[in-house]
Amino acid sequence: MGFEKFLFFLFAIITLFSAGMVVTRRNPVHAALYLVLTFVATAALWLLIEAEFLGIVLVLVYVGAVMVLFLFVVMMLDIDVAAMRAQFIRYLPLGLLIVGLMMFNMILVLGPGHFGLEHFAKPAAAALDYSNTEVLGRELYTTYLYQFEIAAVILLVAIVAAIRLTLRRRPETKYLDPSAQVRVRKGPDRLRIVKMPTEPVPAPVSQAAAGGKNGDDQ
Amino acid sequence: MPFETAFLATVLPELILLATACAVLVLDLYLNDEQRGWNHNLAILGLAATLGTVGLLSNNGVTIAFSGSFIRDPFGDLLKGIILILTIFTFVYSRDYMRERGLWVGEYHVLVLFATLGMLIMVSAHSFLTLYLGLELLALCLYPLVAFDRDSKPGAEAAMKYFVLGALGSGMLLYGISMLYGATGSFGFADVAEVVNAEGLENKILVFGLVFVLIGVAFKFGAVPFHMWLPDVYQGAPMPVVLFLASAPKIAAFAMATRILIDSLGALQADWGEILMILAILSIGLGNVVAIAQTNIKRMLAYSTISHVGFIFLGLLAGTQEGYAAAMFYTVVYALMAAGAFGVLAMISINGLEVEQLDDLKGLNDRDAWLAAMLALMMFSMAGVPPAVGFFAKLLVLDAVVSVGLTWLAVVAVVFSIIGAFYYLRVIKLLYFDKAADSTPLRLAGDAKIAITVNGLAVLLLGIFPASLLGICNAAFSG
Amino acid sequence: MIALSDYLLLAGLMFAIAVAGIFINRKNVIILLMCIELMLLAVNINFVAFSHFLGDTAGQVFVFFILTVAAAEAAIGLAILVILFRGRQTINVDELDLLKG
Repeated sequence: MGFEKFLFFLFAIITLFSAGMVVTRRNPVHAALYLVLTFVATAALWLLIEAEFLGIVLVLVYVGAVMVLFLFVVMMLDIDVAAMRAQFIRYLPLGLLIVGLMMFNMILVLGPGHFGLEHFAKPAAAALDYSNTEVLGRELYTTYLYQFEIAAVILLVAIVAAIRLTLRRRPETKYLDPSAQVRVRKGPDRLRIVKMPTEPVPAPVSQAAAGGKNGDDQ
Repeated sequence: MPFETAFLATVLPELILLATACAVLVLDLYLNDEQRGWNHNLAILGLAATLGTVGLLSNNGVTIAFSGSFIRDPFGDLLKGIILILTIFTFVYSRDYMRERGLWVGEYHVLVLFATLGMLIMVSAHSFLTLYLGLELLALCLYPLVAFDRDSKPGAEAAMKYFVLGALGSGMLLYGISMLYGATGSFGFADVAEVVNAEGLENKILVFGLVFVLIGVAFKFGAVPFHMWLPDVYQGAPMPVVLFLASAPKIAAFAMATRILIDSLGALQADWGEILMILAILSIGLGNVVAIAQTNIKRMLAYSTISHVGFIFLGLLAGTQEGYAAAMFYTVVYALMAAGAFGVLAMISINGLEVEQLDDLKGLNDRDAWLAAMLALMMFSMAGVPPAVGFFAKLLVLDAVVSVGLTWLAVVAVVFSIIGAFYYLRVIKLLYFDKAADSTPLRLAGDAKIAITVNGLAVLLLGIFPASLLGICNAAFSG
Repeated sequence: MIALSDYLLLAGLMFAIAVAGIFINRKNVIILLMCIELMLLAVNINFVAFSHFLGDTAGQVFVFFILTVAAAEAAIGLAILVILFRGRQTINVDELDLLKG
């Protein structure tokens, strides 16, 4: 067993373990963190088979942005974790049955009988000056130009949809409008000069009344 | 030659629609609440321009562009045209409903236009990647549309169910596509078809991938046993969204099924035909029987949709050119009927009334005789009563099934349709023979009335003269 | 030597775990969304593995697009979750019972 195979099994076990933890945790924060671990281990598995660009994107975009979004929403919603204890066991047999059935089928089809090394030989390692990113970039902007544009539209839709669903102006929110602040002129907006006749000097106020007034002010 | 400027002319309809959606998005910023009508006008204008371009570019040939990821053919042109017409109907029917509830904002038009763009992309997809992206563009517009009324609790719940099950369906579809990619080394339809024709059933991996792809397609159609989302989404979503969801996306789903099953996996027909047969029997049976027990009109029509999906599958599983054409005819006709039925429901849900229960339809004839007649026509057509076109569509599908020797299947379908006719006729009884609680006449906008009349006439005239549409459907599969 | 079947079995197991997770999690919609992410990740592993062993970069391009769509999907899913929580103060799947027939 070579070192590569050892690395593969190491990361595969981490991936499967953390995937299992994601679906069985009750606390969504724990689940999200295990999902991060799954993504990182999978990225390592992708590096092993020379998909460098995607491995890095998985960590940067997925762990860095999407999972942070997940955690953000989990924290924002203030979910009562304690209330989510019961009733988990009830559906566990169903879940195990599904895993069992799917795995039975998959091992029959996906096992070494169809996809072993004798059917798909390990390709030779790429040359030292091979750049996975460059190759993908070339494909993306030439062959897959049409799909690339569709992906752009999908991201625009995600923005429009998320804003429509969650943005609402609440009447009680107070905010400053910077453009209105800047546009204020000294003349009539901020300073008003009022002409008034001079007042006669008021009669001296007694000490007691002044003290009482101060007391009211506090 | 990865890119040529000539490709831009081929995708001109999609480009015009995209430009319209972006223009509405920007225009909406500069409008106040009284001027929202401009969004509506611009959206309809853009859809009409797109429709015109589809017609202008249409010819009998086949054009493939963008390195084999885009295809324009007569089949696609017809389906695109109908999708665009149905979207225009959706806008016209839904205006008063949305305006009354404060939902008539720019995002509604933008999301519906982008969803339509997604459908056009699906219809002219020539590789699994394009198909997947079109499908997701459509789905990602539909999820927020279902929850468009942000303060509606059923709306949010329906959107969540739709989202989770829709994503599950996409996941299944993708897993299947990944296996097909592994077995054939490509995800262009033409390349996949080549390998499939050469290897056929010998390759177990292809069959394994096919099962997952079929599950994904069944999820998107809402066929039993993957129908769980459909009644809940119909019940929870605002009526105009249901109107949109029930009509045009069914055509896109049909295009998806055709492109995958016939264009690329045609050699595996024996395999997918059997699976479709099970799905079709279950859908027709469960859809018709459960619909009888419903008191909510939207849920009832949802189960009715499920049974119609069963009929579409019947045409596909026949595996003959006649069967495919019959399925296409059925899909187009069903989309027209659904648009008409939900259109009437959206139009009468005004002045504070929200049509939910069957009882809300009582005595509609006294309030607006023309709308009641149109709804009755749609119900007759869905039940399969001649001379409405629904009868002819059912006949074509059954004929295709019988001609490949599956007479028992046709008999089962007919028995369940007769059971199903009961709940459609119950609606007609409510319309004409019951008294309304409030019999003040409805005041409706003129353009909506014109649209529903055109829609109703289409259902009636296609039933009397089906040859024109059927001719196009046959031509689409004769190549 | 790592064989293609190793990667496919790993992806298959992960897919099964994700699907089972969708069925057993009746309590928490957020974890359902995470199960969907897991499912797409399993599909991505399949594509990357096939891409490597077939010597064809198209599979990696497909993964690129799936990642894009999945990010958009996560944004919309979480937005729906937020309005769901605002209305109901719960994200418990069993308590989502307004729609019954």
